[in-house]
Amino acid sequence: MALTDEVKRYLPDGIAARLKYPKLADFERPNVITTTADLVFNWARSHSVFPFQYGLACCAIEMLSSGFARFDIARYGMEVFRPTPRQCDLMIVAGTVNEKMAPVLLRLYEQMAEPKWVISMGACATSGGPFYDGYNVVNGVDKVVPVDVYIPGCPPRPEALFDGMLQLQRKIQQLTFARPEKVEPLYGADAPWHADAIGPQAQFGGRVSKKRLTP
Amino acid sequence: MTDSFLTEAPDEAMALALDRIRRGSQTGDVSDLEGLALDQVVVNMGPQHPSTHGVLRLVVTLDGEIVRDVIPVVGYLHRCKEKLAEKRTYYQYIPIVDRTEYVAGMNCEWGYVMTVEKLAGIRPTRRAEFIRVIMAELNRIASHQVAVGTFTADLSPLGTAMVFYMFRDRETILTLLEEASGARMMFNYFRFGGVRFDLPPGWEQRCREVMEQVPKWVDEYRSLVEDNAVFLTRTVNRGVITQQDVADYAITGPNARASGVPHDLRRTRPYSVYPELDFDLCLGEHGDVFDRYRVRVDEILESRRIILQCLDMMPRGPVQTGTLRPPYVITPPPGSAYTSQENPRGEYGTYIVSDGSRYPYRLKYRDPCFVNLQLLPKLLRGSKIADAVAISGSIDLVLGGIDR
Amino acid sequence: MSLQVGNVRIGAGELAARLAQGFAGELTDVAVQEPDTVVARLAREKLKDVAARLHDLEETPVDSLTLISSVDYVTHYECVYHLYSYAANLYVELHVRVPRGDPTVETVSDVWPGADWHEREAWDMMGIVFKGHPDPRRILLKDDWIGHPLRKDYVDDVRNHPYV
Repeated sequence: MALTDEVKRYLPDGIAARLKYPKLADFERPNVITTTADLVFNWARSHSVFPFQYGLACCAIEMLSSGFARFDIARYGMEVFRPTPRQCDLMIVAGTVNEKMAPVLLRLYEQMAEPKWVISMGACATSGGPFYDGYNVVNGVDKVVPVDVYIPGCPPRPEALFDGMLQLQRKIQQLTFARPEKVEPLYGADAPWHADAIGPQAQFGGRVSKKRLTP
Repeated sequence: MTDSFLTEAPDEAMALALDRIRRGSQTGDVSDLEGLALDQVVVNMGPQHPSTHGVLRLVVTLDGEIVRDVIPVVGYLHRCKEKLAEKRTYYQYIPIVDRTEYVAGMNCEWGYVMTVEKLAGIRPTRRAEFIRVIMAELNRIASHQVAVGTFTADLSPLGTAMVFYMFRDRETILTLLEEASGARMMFNYFRFGGVRFDLPPGWEQRCREVMEQVPKWVDEYRSLVEDNAVFLTRTVNRGVITQQDVADYAITGPNARASGVPHDLRRTRPYSVYPELDFDLCLGEHGDVFDRYRVRVDEILESRRIILQCLDMMPRGPVQTGTLRPPYVITPPPGSAYTSQENPRGEYGTYIVSDGSRYPYRLKYRDPCFVNLQLLPKLLRGSKIADAVAISGSIDLVLGGIDR
Repeated sequence: MSLQVGNVRIGAGELAARLAQGFAGELTDVAVQEPDTVVARLAREKLKDVAARLHDLEETPVDSLTLISSVDYVTHYECVYHLYSYAANLYVELHVRVPRGDPTVETVSDVWPGADWHEREAWDMMGIVFKGHPDPRRILLKDDWIGHPLRKDYVDDVRNHPYV
């Protein structure tokens, strides 16, 4: 509650001058309260990520293997693979995305609640993989959704998947309650390049298909 | 962000389902229950679903709990493999064939390599033939473990311990395959005229040790589910594939053998060294879900027999015929060939047309899952929605093969 | 009905002779390829009739259709029907030429129900129209895909790629 005139009317006389009431602007820069809150919330967020069971192709079998006994994903708190995106934090895109699947993927991504992250697992999700010049293949899932961590490999071993997940944990631990110095616009000249994937710019024609169809 | 998907027009498959309902209601084919006017509902078991193994979409028309019609929509994993074959040389294409049925990569590679060898007239060495059989059978065990494991995981979501035991045991087999070929799943191991690497020292001893444990595994799997009354109720007499269906729809593999048809390409169209090996066909009687599960588990034991025989009979020698040298380009003479072999899921065939150049002219896959999936609407009609998951899991679909 | 595999022991040569004799006018270039395949050429007008008669052939009915391939030789298309007979344990391969300007052929999905999806795929990938097919829709590509990719003169339309 801010210290407005209306509130001052109810306070005893003389106190208002001596009251060191913190203002909202004080929380905008990092201080001990924001860093402590960051620590607690980021610890909770990074160590209890709910992955979204989104195995498309061969990488899905390695994702399954990483969930079972030999490579145990429960050590990292991520064994709760939820089948519905509404209950998930992390979408692991494991497999090739093609033109038929891309709208479905975008729709599922939009059904996830913030804060949400995307790991693109495998060569196909990163850049099209061995099928990069197929007519039906989208060269990388980052043309559809913004990606946080890329894991190369075809398929990446479960240990590589864990490496990517630990990197994601470190990335989650960078989140902060304090207001940043500069706000990144969502689209426009100053936007990060992947922000073109969502928003009005996603649907426009006039681009030439870059796929070489002859050897 | 506004949710602009709410009033989306139904796409072709949904429109077809709605159209069939409309036509059915015109001819009076609505609900069974007298006096109750029930609507039929079209439900989308969408491409992302925990129980459809991979990105298979089933547009299900439900009348209460009973499935009236199923329209499978595939193509969510279509990776243009057949067109890519025309842009890669024969040798460059081997890793891509691996990814067709990604659970059984060795068998898929063997199908492609066998066809090219037939076109080009290359004969593999004898030691390589035995190694190929061993790798294919090891991969058959691993593939059946995935198939049965995920099937039981569907019946009650990860509730049975079966899938954990199966994946744990699968890891020992994948370690063996990794020592031989270098990779856990996408092996890139077969070459025209042989295989890429010889077996590492000590591999045969380790393989025998793993095969020692296989009967114990199978006993454990059987004891986990076959006494369970709920499992039996859900699987016995459900999803029966008749022998007429097997002939009409060209169903092959464990699905056909569970219905009592003794069709196994290792016996009916023997290739490689299978004529010299001694193994039995695992047949079922009724063709229901339980028989398909049982045939797969029995085949694990038969594969073990084959592997032990091969380890005993394997000669020393080279594992690659000396015909292929860098830059590894072969140009088979013009012509066409079709060979097929026994994948864990059925008859996996490759039809290649060659025009004498470095690239195949046309490559066509005969994929067992593509053919087996055609039967799904017929199997599911009249069953309950809960059985739909069990039945579609028992057919053992791998979407990489269906969509190619 | 009990399906036996290979209980009629005739060789591929014998089956080829029977087919050449029984279908003298329709099947041309009957040949035997490797151990167990009989290869023959067939005109597309006679396809339906020959298919029905093969399916009900005496002693060794060709009761199963394994695969329908479609190949684009630049001057014409070719549909290859790979058939299998359980009783004889032999394969029959029929090559049907389809002219490029008029790529239509009769469906065989009423003779062998398993031909359904193979014909849909041949339509999707190669653009061969199967007359009388119960459900002629695209199977592997999006419903609104423009073009038939496996043709040799396929040019990828930019409208197919909203997501590059």
